[in-house]
Amino acid sequence: MAAQAALDENRVIAIIVTHDGQIWLPETVASLTSQTRAVDEIVAVDTGSIDATVQLLKSARIPVINTDRDSGFGEAVSIGLNSFERSSDAVTEWIWLIHDDCAPAPTCLEYLLAAVIDRPQVAMVGPKLLGWHNRTHLLEAGISIAGNGARWTGLEPLEYDQGQHDGIHDVLSVSTAGALIRRDIFEELGGFDKNLALFRDDIDFGWRARVAGHSVIAATSAVVYHAQASASERRSVDVKGAFLQRPLLLDRRNAAYVLLANSTWWMIPWIAIQLLGSAMIRSIGYLLAKLPGYASDELLAVATLLVKPGTIIRARRERKENRFVSSRVVATYIPPRWSQIRLSGSRLLDKLRSRLLPENSDSSTSVLESIEDEDLLVPAKGVSWLSIFRKPAVAGFISLALLTLIASRMRLGSLIGGALPASPDGARDLWRSYFESWHQVGMGSSQASPPWIAILAVCASILFGKAPLFLTLFFLSAPLAMMASALRLFKKLTQNIWISVPASFIYALSPVAIAAINSGRLATVVFLIVAPQIPILLTNWRGIEKHSWRQIFTFSLIFAFLYSFTLVAFLICSGLAAIALIGDYQDYSKSRNKTLFLERLKRRLSLVFVPIILTAPYSFEAFISASKFLSEPGMSLSGGPAQLVILGNPGGAGSLPWWLISPLLLIIIIALFTSSAAKTIALYGTGFLSTAVIFSTFSTATHGDSGQSRVWVGTFLVGATLAASAAGVVILDRIRAVLVTTNIHFRHILAALLLVATGVYSIAALGWSLTAGATSPVQSSRSTVMPAFLTAEKDTKTIVLREIGSSDAKSIQFYISRGKDITLGEPDVAPKQLSEISIAVQALIDGSGISSSEVFADFGIKYVFVKLPFGRDVIRTIDSFGGFTRASATSTGVVWRVAGVTGRLVLVGEDGTRTLLETGDVGARTRVEHPGRVLLTESFDRSWQILENGYRLERVKSQQQLPIFIATEAGEISLLHDGTIRRAWLSFEIIVWILVIAFATPSGRRKREISESELA
Amino acid sequence: MRRPIIALSALTASFALATLLSATTSNSMYSQSYPAVVCPPTLGGLSSQISISSTKTQFQRLENRSTKTIPFNTLRYAVPKDSLVVSATGVTPVVWQSRSNSWAGGAICSGPITSAWFVGGSSDVTTRGKLIIVNSGLSEASVDVQAYSENGVQPATTLTLKAKSYSALPLDSLATGDKALTVHVLARAGRINAFMVDELGAGLRALGGDFVNPVTAPATTVVIPAIPNQLPKKGQKAFATHTLRILTPFESDAKFTLELLSADGNFIPVGFDSRSILAGKVTELKISPELSASAFAVRIKATEPIVASISSKVAINGRNDFLWSTPTPALTKMSMAITGLSPLIAFAGDSIDVKVAVTLINGKKSFATIKASDIATWRIPNAARSITIISSSRDTYAGALVASSNGYGYLPITAGSVLTRVEIPHSNIKVLNP
Repeated sequence: MAAQAALDENRVIAIIVTHDGQIWLPETVASLTSQTRAVDEIVAVDTGSIDATVQLLKSARIPVINTDRDSGFGEAVSIGLNSFERSSDAVTEWIWLIHDDCAPAPTCLEYLLAAVIDRPQVAMVGPKLLGWHNRTHLLEAGISIAGNGARWTGLEPLEYDQGQHDGIHDVLSVSTAGALIRRDIFEELGGFDKNLALFRDDIDFGWRARVAGHSVIAATSAVVYHAQASASERRSVDVKGAFLQRPLLLDRRNAAYVLLANSTWWMIPWIAIQLLGSAMIRSIGYLLAKLPGYASDELLAVATLLVKPGTIIRARRERKENRFVSSRVVATYIPPRWSQIRLSGSRLLDKLRSRLLPENSDSSTSVLESIEDEDLLVPAKGVSWLSIFRKPAVAGFISLALLTLIASRMRLGSLIGGALPASPDGARDLWRSYFESWHQVGMGSSQASPPWIAILAVCASILFGKAPLFLTLFFLSAPLAMMASALRLFKKLTQNIWISVPASFIYALSPVAIAAINSGRLATVVFLIVAPQIPILLTNWRGIEKHSWRQIFTFSLIFAFLYSFTLVAFLICSGLAAIALIGDYQDYSKSRNKTLFLERLKRRLSLVFVPIILTAPYSFEAFISASKFLSEPGMSLSGGPAQLVILGNPGGAGSLPWWLISPLLLIIIIALFTSSAAKTIALYGTGFLSTAVIFSTFSTATHGDSGQSRVWVGTFLVGATLAASAAGVVILDRIRAVLVTTNIHFRHILAALLLVATGVYSIAALGWSLTAGATSPVQSSRSTVMPAFLTAEKDTKTIVLREIGSSDAKSIQFYISRGKDITLGEPDVAPKQLSEISIAVQALIDGSGISSSEVFADFGIKYVFVKLPFGRDVIRTIDSFGGFTRASATSTGVVWRVAGVTGRLVLVGEDGTRTLLETGDVGARTRVEHPGRVLLTESFDRSWQILENGYRLERVKSQQQLPIFIATEAGEISLLHDGTIRRAWLSFEIIVWILVIAFATPSGRRKREISESELA
Repeated sequence: MRRPIIALSALTASFALATLLSATTSNSMYSQSYPAVVCPPTLGGLSSQISISSTKTQFQRLENRSTKTIPFNTLRYAVPKDSLVVSATGVTPVVWQSRSNSWAGGAICSGPITSAWFVGGSSDVTTRGKLIIVNSGLSEASVDVQAYSENGVQPATTLTLKAKSYSALPLDSLATGDKALTVHVLARAGRINAFMVDELGAGLRALGGDFVNPVTAPATTVVIPAIPNQLPKKGQKAFATHTLRILTPFESDAKFTLELLSADGNFIPVGFDSRSILAGKVTELKISPELSASAFAVRIKATEPIVASISSKVAINGRNDFLWSTPTPALTKMSMAITGLSPLIAFAGDSIDVKVAVTLINGKKSFATIKASDIATWRIPNAARSITIISSSRDTYAGALVASSNGYGYLPITAGSVLTRVEIPHSNIKVLNP
């Protein structure tokens, strides 16, 4: 009774603000009339509705005040409130704000009033907001604002209401839908801010109430069902300031306004940065979701506010008058950044999970079915965790992991060897190598870095920049990734896990997989992992028109990823597209369906050439230097001969010995003569195998190796291996049923032959991998080629001579070192050796090198280093030449210093005197003491420039094809390599990637396109 | 069924094509060249001529700082002083030096050496001989000189030679007072050649002289193919005397057997069957065979590696001279310039079958085939400018004996510089990967 009495001491004025709300209004009105504690006064303020809203209100006998269509919510509330005189009785007057799209539960008002009985400090109390359509979904129970302006409820999206947030909570603010506000405080604070016509007026009011010393609470026993019609774009937003009637723009603008108007002054710069940053990130997200309107809203919202600082200044001045406590009192209600990150992460994971692991409704079984005859109270029998190891897939992965660990026992560290140079210590070096326009390799190179360096840099960045750690983990986990990828494909070909798991296991143990890992072939390993996913995604290769353009762009991105590692992917893609186009043309000849033909043509060409554009300028350079089409990342290493390749073994360093024959060819031949899908798969396999065999006869000189190396055809063999494995799976899956039900005949023998061959190969390959294979070229190593004292001098050129090759076929090779060993990415941009240097080195070896030292000095080569073991005769021969002075002779090798003044930057005076100038890594800033020719001992490139006193020096090409600059006076000079072209290419690359990613990502939906059930 | 067969045929065809196209890829390329040879300098009081096979053959003076070469423009070049570096391109030049009315001797101009053994010379009071070490390289060279004598191993000397220079060491400084000398020259660094001139005299009386041609390394079997056997003139009874000088330079003593090959037959002279010698000590043994032939050869087989040579006393124009016959390696294809010399070539071997081409001064060529067993001698025509060994039977050795008005000389028939096959290095960034 006391409570009832207390309720009676309050006077509640319900103000309904309507705007085209005829859809929701009937229920709103009905809910108001059925309140257990009736409102004392009621008025509706209609803001120019053009539907039947006003008629509905009138028919409900609710007094209506009409106002302009562009009136804001706060203005409407003020108009409604002003229609009631302040009560002269000793009662507390409350304003109950009702939106036309919200319906309070019958007890709502009663509970709201009950919550404030013993809380005189409360200025505003709000109910729990539940969904209009799904009334179990919790929308809000108090609100706040994040530092980036986001509306913060602290709830999961579409969180199910189980009473988990029930109670009376102090909050920053509550939604105006169903909020009960003390009239005196409302008027004292000046009502809602006129600048906030719609959206965020509730947070602003709550914040102002808080700093005025009042309290705001959410009483969740009171419930209101809210349709959120304006926010979800179910009706137009016509308020003043709603530029182009865009609710998002208005919301974002108002959010920024609230933060800037209410925060303490010293927080404003930080908030402005956060607002701008988050607006940009969100706009990028919207662009990717192909919602340019929303993207522009984000940026315009902040821009419209920042260009009018006077509005903020005025608002802050007004708030100052009613501020009795510091703005920081709200700090406890502002969500911490960690909560925001956690929630965003959780949402992202949910989205990924729902996309990757869609709930399978078919697999759900009723508890009643499973324990039909058992007592429901008896707990279901638990499954022993050990039983998981009895699953073939788990057992397969664990076995492979163990075997890989044993086989990789020499690779548990920073990897080097084979095609793999030493990886730089940090991702920063990889990024620099990717972005820089000039590479200090050999005599220098301006070739474009391949995009795989950027991919590797991204991956290394995830591991806190530890590039060597990433590579070690990558090669360790590669067999598992191959198996997982293949298993996903094979599961689509057979339901029998006893076929798919062993097949994927053998795929990870295929000759090409073993050789690729053992010899550090990054591209082939990536291919082996990615390749099984392509047939899963590209299901309609023949009828490609069935794939949407979004899918085509997604495939283009995947292909671009592969192109980034090796342009063999382009050859494969082009070949497949060409064959398919022949089929398309045959179809066109029969059907005369030009539209279909053109659709297919466009899609196929996009698949082939969009990745080329995405990997520019690296891919474009391949059209000038064709050997790049057949190259792999890292060192140029020879592959095997055709006799090995036809058996599926790519050959070369680290590959299986010839006698370890895989059943690949046997399976393909058998599959060719089956009548199942295996035949089609085998046709592709034959194509890949034939191409591999042909290309195995090619030799190229690339990646800093002037000698001819037989092309590595591992990438083609990935296709053949995958096709053979898939064909084997299909054959075994189909033949199993036949074998079980028939007497022994030739099929039994063939199947047995296949299984025995596969089994023998697997055991032998495993045995080899665990023994001899463990000492393959790629191993963890910390040794270096260059002696420490040569690396001390920065960027010093040294000719390094070594005998390389097996003990019975050693050959003398050389290269110019820049004071350090070669690192990842450098072989890919290594220039061809200049013929003058090659001849001079040859002369050193054959004993005719009287003038070799002069040639070396001309090219800035300061040292000659012969790495031992090396022929003693050659060492003695070099000793005998003039111009070389022994600098050291240790167990690692012999070093000679080249006579004369030489270095990277040399000033040659008019009298021929040479002065060495100081230089940095690429650019330099130094002084020339007299006029002369400044010789830069780097390969000639038009981007080399020297500026002296603000003027560009004349550049000419020397006889040795080196850049020479004519300095006409003494002064400060700046040497630089102008990277404008490289930067332009990078910009182009970024733009193209963003565009293609935007085309490939699923389109976002405007809020008005989202179904109401989804909105709750 | 059509498509599988087409696919299989395509695979087979590609494999066949690949097998046909697939040539073994080798990155090794080679350049072949004859290293330039070095002729000895002309020491004071001597005169020197170099026989060349072509007037266009290029040379440079050792002490010229320039590295430019110039042609000889003659087939026999008188050397004033310097050592010459000759771009002989496969035809070994021969140098003939003499001291007027005293002695004459010949040596072949040769490519840089790593090791040379000179079995000859003396360090006693009669010696006027020199060990000449030439550095034809463009930087400093370092050489070890190790002498042996009848008293054992002498202290080693290390010499440093400036670029493009030579040094003439008096032989008496190597094992002062000792009579029987053997010198090992070991090049440590640099482009080194070594020559030895053995010249003897007693007071003002010249006792003759000769070049001591080197051998590269000790061996268990050595053949000295040409030893002159000056027959006694009328009224003379004594036959010429020869002295075998032999050394086993390593730590173990050796036993050797000397077999004499001559037109009169093969035999082991008395006292030369399983004869012992002490390690590190130079041993001299007299040989005085009674032979009718003008030249003979010896084959020495030892239980340990040895170096050996034979000095033969000869008389010319009433004066005494001597010459050092040294071992030669087995004959291979080679050419040697002999302009102005008309040597007598002695071939030694079990079964001799050698085809020789002789190029005359007028450019014409004549061919000869020498077939014999044990030993054969062949006189080259006077107008010859070069000889070429076109083919040779196995284990056949040859040496040349030259007579001139000043004295007798011996030349080993061996190539001064052999065709050097050098791999052309190629540029590969892999050298910078550990």
